[in-house]
Amino acid sequence: MNIRRVNRIDQLAQNVPPARDLWPAIAAAIEVDRAGALAESAPRRTRWLPAAGMAAAVALVTLGVFIGRISTPTPDTVAGLTPVQGEASIMPAALRDANYRKQRDALLVEVNTQLKAMPAAEREKVAASLATLRRSIGEIEAALGRDPANALLQELLVSSCQEEMRALTAVRDSGSQEI
Amino acid sequence: MTTADKGRADTVVDFDAALIERARKGDSRAFERLYRDHVGRVHGLCLRMTRNPDQAADCAQDAFIKAWKALPKFEARSSFSTWLHRIAVNTVLEKRRGPSNAEIAVEDPTEYEEPVLSFDTPVEEEELEAAIQSLPQGARDVLVLCGVYGYEHSEASSMLGIAVGTCKAQLHRARGLLRDRLERGVR
Repeated sequence: MNIRRVNRIDQLAQNVPPARDLWPAIAAAIEVDRAGALAESAPRRTRWLPAAGMAAAVALVTLGVFIGRISTPTPDTVAGLTPVQGEASIMPAALRDANYRKQRDALLVEVNTQLKAMPAAEREKVAASLATLRRSIGEIEAALGRDPANALLQELLVSSCQEEMRALTAVRDSGSQEI
Repeated sequence: MTTADKGRADTVVDFDAALIERARKGDSRAFERLYRDHVGRVHGLCLRMTRNPDQAADCAQDAFIKAWKALPKFEARSSFSTWLHRIAVNTVLEKRRGPSNAEIAVEDPTEYEEPVLSFDTPVEEEELEAAIQSLPQGARDVLVLCGVYGYEHSEASSMLGIAVGTCKAQLHRARGLLRDRLERGVR
């Protein structure tokens, strides 16, 4: 092993790269920031976007960190996730697809099982993050209800639902890798 | 231009300026280049201030997100690196949520003027990092900014929100504690 010695404190390495690449989370936040800026410049009722989008991004990043740390299963109960009812009326066509909803409902059942097997601390954080994601999607849906023709909102809803599916899949498969 | 940047200024600043200009216009790929160039130093600073790899990564990440949002306010005449470090230090201080860098009594700050900390015999880098980590928070913050990253007291005190005299006194204290701990072989 090569041991490095220094004569002065300013010879210590200033450059210490992080263990994980931080860029994906930063890029996600930038996209949310951009969506927020676009929404602010839009004509009406879109001020919710930055907060909802940022909450979703933070939830995703938090999930990514905690899924990677999950290791010791502990049986316990959890206030689980339940399939969301009554969303179909304002969802874009792709999300009203029966197959999508069936897959999501099945995934939620598996995720609840996985959550129950997690240590309590991780479980609470993952569940909270998923709830934040779900809440953000709900806010986007509510805004779409007021402004159904808004293409930006539709696009954001689809991408948020895709992110949710990705997060749910990662939770189901958790234990070995980050989202 | 700051003391900390003198060594790298000639080769990096102009390149940074072009990337900053593109990033200001919304080019996230330019900002990614800036991130790749600067993340090591920003993370190193956060790691030494927090002493926790997870917190350090979170702080560095938040600092870059804040930097992206604040880019329109960045004044090109100052150093991007120093500006980023200022944001990173603020982020670490915010996350601590407690009293930090408590003011310590300063009778005559000029008595604390000292050259860079050097050692008679070479010290193992790992041992030195461990000794720095063992320092009290206020002393460690100042030692990291002034000793490791080369900021002047005026710059470091401004970043940490303390008086220049306090900054000098904390550095003086840090140096004494560091020498003492290295002699005792703190690990």
